[in-house]
Amino acid sequence: MKPKYRRLVIITLIITILGIATQLILMALKDNIIYFYSPNDLKLKYGETKNIKNKIRIGGLVLEDSVIIENNKTTFIITDRIHQIKVYFDGSLPDLFREGQGIIAEGTFIKNNLIASQVLAKHDENYMPPEVAEALKKNGVWQGDIKQ
Amino acid sequence: MIPEIGHILLIITFVSSFIQAIFWIITLGSKNTVNLIILQKFAVTNFILISSSFSILLYSFIISDFSLLIVTNNSHSLKPLIYKISGLWGNHEGSLMLWALILSFFTYLISRNKSQISFKLLSSILGVQTLILFSFLAFILFTSNPFERLEIPPLDGKGLNPLLQDPGLAFHPPILYLGYVGLSVSFSFAVAALITGEINQIWARQIRPWITIAWSALTLGIALGSWWAYYELGWGGWWFWDPVENASFMPWLIATALLHSVRLLETRLILVSWTVLLAILGFSFSLLGTFIVRSGLLTSVHAFATDPSRGIFILIILTIATGVPLILYAIRSSDLYTEKKIEFNVFSKETALLINNLFLSTATLTILIGTLYPLFLDAFNGEKISIGPAYYNATFAPIMAPVILIMAIAPFLNWGTKISNNLSKKILFIIFITLLGALLLSMIKGATLFSIICGSLSIWLFSGVLINFISQTKLNNLKKGKFRSWLKQLINNNLGMHIAHLGVAVFLAGVTGEQFFKTEINGRKNIGDIIKIGDRSLKFDDVKFEDGPNYKSEMAIFTLSKNNNLIDTLKPEKRFYPVQQNQTTEAAILSEFFGDTYLVLGDGNKEIGWSVRLYYNPLVSWIWGGACLMALGGITSIFRNRKTKSNIIIRNTV
Repeated sequence: MKPKYRRLVIITLIITILGIATQLILMALKDNIIYFYSPNDLKLKYGETKNIKNKIRIGGLVLEDSVIIENNKTTFIITDRIHQIKVYFDGSLPDLFREGQGIIAEGTFIKNNLIASQVLAKHDENYMPPEVAEALKKNGVWQGDIKQ
Repeated sequence: MIPEIGHILLIITFVSSFIQAIFWIITLGSKNTVNLIILQKFAVTNFILISSSFSILLYSFIISDFSLLIVTNNSHSLKPLIYKISGLWGNHEGSLMLWALILSFFTYLISRNKSQISFKLLSSILGVQTLILFSFLAFILFTSNPFERLEIPPLDGKGLNPLLQDPGLAFHPPILYLGYVGLSVSFSFAVAALITGEINQIWARQIRPWITIAWSALTLGIALGSWWAYYELGWGGWWFWDPVENASFMPWLIATALLHSVRLLETRLILVSWTVLLAILGFSFSLLGTFIVRSGLLTSVHAFATDPSRGIFILIILTIATGVPLILYAIRSSDLYTEKKIEFNVFSKETALLINNLFLSTATLTILIGTLYPLFLDAFNGEKISIGPAYYNATFAPIMAPVILIMAIAPFLNWGTKISNNLSKKILFIIFITLLGALLLSMIKGATLFSIICGSLSIWLFSGVLINFISQTKLNNLKKGKFRSWLKQLINNNLGMHIAHLGVAVFLAGVTGEQFFKTEINGRKNIGDIIKIGDRSLKFDDVKFEDGPNYKSEMAIFTLSKNNNLIDTLKPEKRFYPVQQNQTTEAAILSEFFGDTYLVLGDGNKEIGWSVRLYYNPLVSWIWGGACLMALGGITSIFRNRKTKSNIIIRNTV
């Protein structure tokens, strides 16, 4: 191939691939974003009906004395100390999942309850997910810095 | 007293690296070779100083000196020795010390370089390395001093987080750091080339082993992390597209692109400025990764307690380390080297390597956007979002598929204009094997379109690598010659590349098995119960309560058998760590060639039984096996004889 044509071919190729990539990224961003809410934010945005089709993430603290584990199926309540949401989860809980701990549950809403496909806690017991910390601060129930 | 010595040594290194950097800048235009010798002496001194300081910190961890804050927070007198040692880098301050140690070690190795590399270039490489070392030492001393003392030392430490008391922690961070710091070397090579304006085939030959080391270490480090996340529960499995995972994956992709582009530079002297740009970006992405992990700006499953002030410091280093070289690049890159107008065919190695680079950098871009987009959205309208695996499956996977397609064919293309012999025959053969494989795949129960595509790509690459290996290797030489000379010949014949590409194929096979064919059984079982998995049966034998070195254990004992023949005993366990008031769940995993049996013990007691979760993950260990092959391929290619390569250049350019 002559260098002159080669440059043309290469530039066309680059533009095509970047174009396709942009298209893929835009499509994927439209469909696959998961929004994060605290229980109270969710109430403010959607009211009591919680008519949400997409997957979402709810972050907050696990309410004390709310965890029931039966046959590997877990039920618990996420709270930001203002509002609360009941969560059903059928999977392995992370080791740092416990009452009073900040966690994030990801899933879809069915009849006002979150059917979680994933429950996330962190590697470090001193750690609070930033969204959860911010949500708690916003609602005025932040218990001070957890980090020593 | 001893920790103070460590602290003072660190301060001395900081001052010495500062003086060295100033010295380098002052003597930049000088033609006196004595300056290089002085820079080399500095490099040795810095390395000795930092390793002494590091050893002192290590010593404090080993003897459990709880007067040091870092030891109190991350160690405990009852911990096994290996976790006392790995506790050093299991935290922010210590991990930076490790970073600085590796950096100064690499700088020392470069300073010993006795090859054809010019003294001007070598001085500048050492100079840039020193600047990096200086910034990291400043970071350590001003924001994260590992030698901070407690006024009243506690009787015992808080202990390392039980989840981190794992062989994973002992090896995953150091090897990953080896990769990150290795990329700093190629960064220094690139910046030095921009400063001196000196870039040629010798430069490419000198930088290549460093890229290869960095790339192999990154591969191994990421694989170890992935394996750790796989057996630890609640970390999202072997790969989760979590920001912290992406942070290590982006430098890997850039390093992969760099590894291939430097090959083009070395043999054909094209893509000169692009290679320099990649070398700069590789290190920028490493810093960006550190920033993402340490700043806590992004939510991650793998996040640890973070400190925003440190994040800002890394951001400053990142801005300078990327900004200055990029400005330099904008000014200097055009007069770096006038590229020869070489001719090459569409079906040539050049085209294949160009496409490789184009796709790999586009793939990096999609990951970068996916990782940072939540930050932008948060900054713009305060909406909190996360981007999960679905996004990457829709963007990264389709962009990488063509790379795999070309990877199988590219190695048997020729350089330049001559189309290689039997090309169409070979391709037809690969297509035939792949179609056959796809047909077989589609007959497996539960096969979907995507599983067939993914599996076929693996078969495609397998057959490509195999044909290529056979056609390039003269197996009959083994009978005539000695094994060693035969091996040497193999290595010079791209054995490393064959192994690495084979690793990708093995990896893809593992991904296909794990993603599309895994099964899960789940329920409450009591002692005596039997669970059927295919033609095997798993019997619940007993539950034992025992004391470990620093935990209490509740361990179930299961026996896996086939036709009454015992295969193995599985012991899933729950551990309670009294020091931290923490409980961890240890899955029992039986790893076999064709798949893993993964057993998790849940809550329960003798009256109601225990809840049990059982997974069968076909081919999952191939994922890490493949990654290990890639790293092995990288290491093998370092041993290539460089003289043979220059012969190739002459042959091709004539």
